[in-house]
Amino acid sequence: MRSVKSFFGLNRTNLIICRNVTTKKKITIPDEEEQLPIFQYPISKSSDRRVYVWGMAETGALGIHMPGRGKRGRKSYRNDFSLVWYPMRSSFCERFDVTQIACGYGFTVAAVKTDEQHKLFGTGINTDSQIGYHAPRMGHPLELLLSPAPIYIPYKSLESKIVDLAAGRAHTVILTDNEGVYTLGNNAYGQCGRKINPNEEYRGSMVSYNIQKLGQEKIVNVCCGQDHTLFITESGKVYSCGWGADGQTGLGTYKNQAFPAPVKGDITTEKIVKVASTVDCVLALNDRGELFGWGNSEYGQVPMPSKSDQVNMSYALVQFTKGIGKIVDIAAGGSFCLIVNEQGDVFVWGFGLLGLGPNVQQSATPKQIPPALFGRNEFNPQSVVEKVACGIGHLAAVTNNGDLYTWGRNRHGCLGLGHTKDQHFPLKVSIGAHVMQVKCSVDHTVAMCKPFV
Amino acid sequence: MVKHINAALAYKTLNGLICVYKPPRVPVRQVQHTIVTNICRDLNALPDRPQEKRVEIIGATNAPMTVKLVPNYADDPLVCGPRYTHDDFRCSWATHLGLFTSGVLLLGLNEGTRLTYQINVARPTRAYKVHGQLGKATDTYFWNGKTIERSTFNHVTRAKIDRIVAHMQSAHQKTMFELSGLHMDSQTAYDLASQGVIRPANSKLPIIYGLKCVHFEPPNFTLEVQAVNEYEKYLWTLIHDLGVQLKTSAYCTGLQCIRQGKFTLDHALLRKHWQLDHLIDNMDSCRQLIEENEQLLRPKSAHLSV
Repeated sequence: MRSVKSFFGLNRTNLIICRNVTTKKKITIPDEEEQLPIFQYPISKSSDRRVYVWGMAETGALGIHMPGRGKRGRKSYRNDFSLVWYPMRSSFCERFDVTQIACGYGFTVAAVKTDEQHKLFGTGINTDSQIGYHAPRMGHPLELLLSPAPIYIPYKSLESKIVDLAAGRAHTVILTDNEGVYTLGNNAYGQCGRKINPNEEYRGSMVSYNIQKLGQEKIVNVCCGQDHTLFITESGKVYSCGWGADGQTGLGTYKNQAFPAPVKGDITTEKIVKVASTVDCVLALNDRGELFGWGNSEYGQVPMPSKSDQVNMSYALVQFTKGIGKIVDIAAGGSFCLIVNEQGDVFVWGFGLLGLGPNVQQSATPKQIPPALFGRNEFNPQSVVEKVACGIGHLAAVTNNGDLYTWGRNRHGCLGLGHTKDQHFPLKVSIGAHVMQVKCSVDHTVAMCKPFV
Repeated sequence: MVKHINAALAYKTLNGLICVYKPPRVPVRQVQHTIVTNICRDLNALPDRPQEKRVEIIGATNAPMTVKLVPNYADDPLVCGPRYTHDDFRCSWATHLGLFTSGVLLLGLNEGTRLTYQINVARPTRAYKVHGQLGKATDTYFWNGKTIERSTFNHVTRAKIDRIVAHMQSAHQKTMFELSGLHMDSQTAYDLASQGVIRPANSKLPIIYGLKCVHFEPPNFTLEVQAVNEYEKYLWTLIHDLGVQLKTSAYCTGLQCIRQGKFTLDHALLRKHWQLDHLIDNMDSCRQLIEENEQLLRPKSAHLSV
């Protein structure tokens, strides 16, 4: 202990206490606050939807046009930006009430809620008339549309509504509530469900084909792979048509199928509620949450005891997915499969960037992606994944909080993370709305969202 | 409570961490000053050591001299001042709390200043209760500012607040990875990310780990925020941003820090108890808490645990 004390302590005291800090409210003119007007911000309706798009923009699949600088007359738009790095609000979907969206290979189709003729709009690549016939000059049909244009479909009644959409490599399938299915685009393999004509010219074609019913039953759901189409009927039967070289039609052959025929194998006795396919592997889910698969199995997507690379009949994956529990959503990518169970746990298998870190390239059995990557941690234990989607190389998951997570190959910035580097584990995409549905394609992604307020 | 009989012994025990409740509108420096002043006052009131004596040898050098002990005025408190002053204490805070924030404040005394440094570097999460009011925006984002806008808030419901708050929280997940100082393509980054939440590598940018609405009674609402690297103004702007996202305006009406690492409001010493005996008791309980939770000072991995 020092016996001689200094007196400087007291001086420092004064310095501190006398420092001038305002803890009082700033003095303002009285009544100024009362005189301020009460502002009312616009609030969205509960039916309002926002659509965000990102990825490759050169094909026009995003339907985004940037107004150019200066006056250049009617063509004062520029489309010289090639990518959209971050989710961008689609202005088309602000003007119309979009109900359904489907992403094909370089094109997008959107169904609009209306009682008029133009219920369906399309944008992007149109080499095979997959988004209809658009010719500003007679005999010169457009092969690329940069902004959404209405697609003519010969509806029998204008009251019918579009309930589901699906798009493949170069064909579009439209499901209406009481007129069955309309198909557009390329039919080289029979994916439009009509007779294959080897000499047919698809560019500038005005053909659309109507399938009323399949096996005397109404169609309730459609799904498109690369060059094949799958239909689900009311009783849960699956019909398919199109390219069958890898067995993706599931008809027991490797031939192309022109008219939709019921898929053979284990699912014939099951009630199927959902099918998923992006390229040439197909997954199906029945009403009890059990998984079935067929098609390409080069990377072990549909592992059979015979280890065959092509599965041409539906095969039950109940043993394979044992211990996972009831499955609620499925997605099949180019070389991998993604499923989510009732507890919101995500499982993945196959080959590629699976989301299991840079060291895991391949997985023969379903491996769980750690739930912490989807935001489930000690501060937020209730976060669960509800929906999944797959592009060819990228994967996406939507949680119950409306957050979107993407990972995988970042082709042309289709992950929406602001760069074009591959992502090895799920990362949240910055979207300022509650994501309800996400659609992935080769190089662009579309998310249907609900505004927060 | 131990009654101290000797000022010197009591002084020796004053090496460690104390957890006090900082009142709002009192700066942290003033809290430090008040505590040190109170400690000095109480120490000086305790029985002191015996005063040093001065030895006086009197008499002619060629004759036997007399040795006398006389009072040494140089050691008299009346001459040299009180025994314990501010200069005998070093005092530092673990993390700064803003002027208008109240709540848990960790202070280190003497040797305890090292502990505050370690706690600061370990970056434990802090929990806040942030009170806000809808329908009004001020230029400072706080109640002390001038009102710049008024707006309607009838459309705001608990569900809407919850949804936006959950969204804001998950939006911070990406910041968490970016600030962990790891390359996103590395296996290490994946291993850490799959474990859960990660602590930031630096102290610059705020990260929110948990955010939820705990009270909603229009126009007032309360958020519970669990964060690292946050500061007062950041939390005010958080309320403002929430207001903007809710399509109305909002300003912050109060801030309370309810937890720092493992130190909660139960450990915090109220202003009326800022006295020597209570402070020494508090220091003991803080020492126990630190001994029980080793990771509080020296975390083994970047994984964050409360």
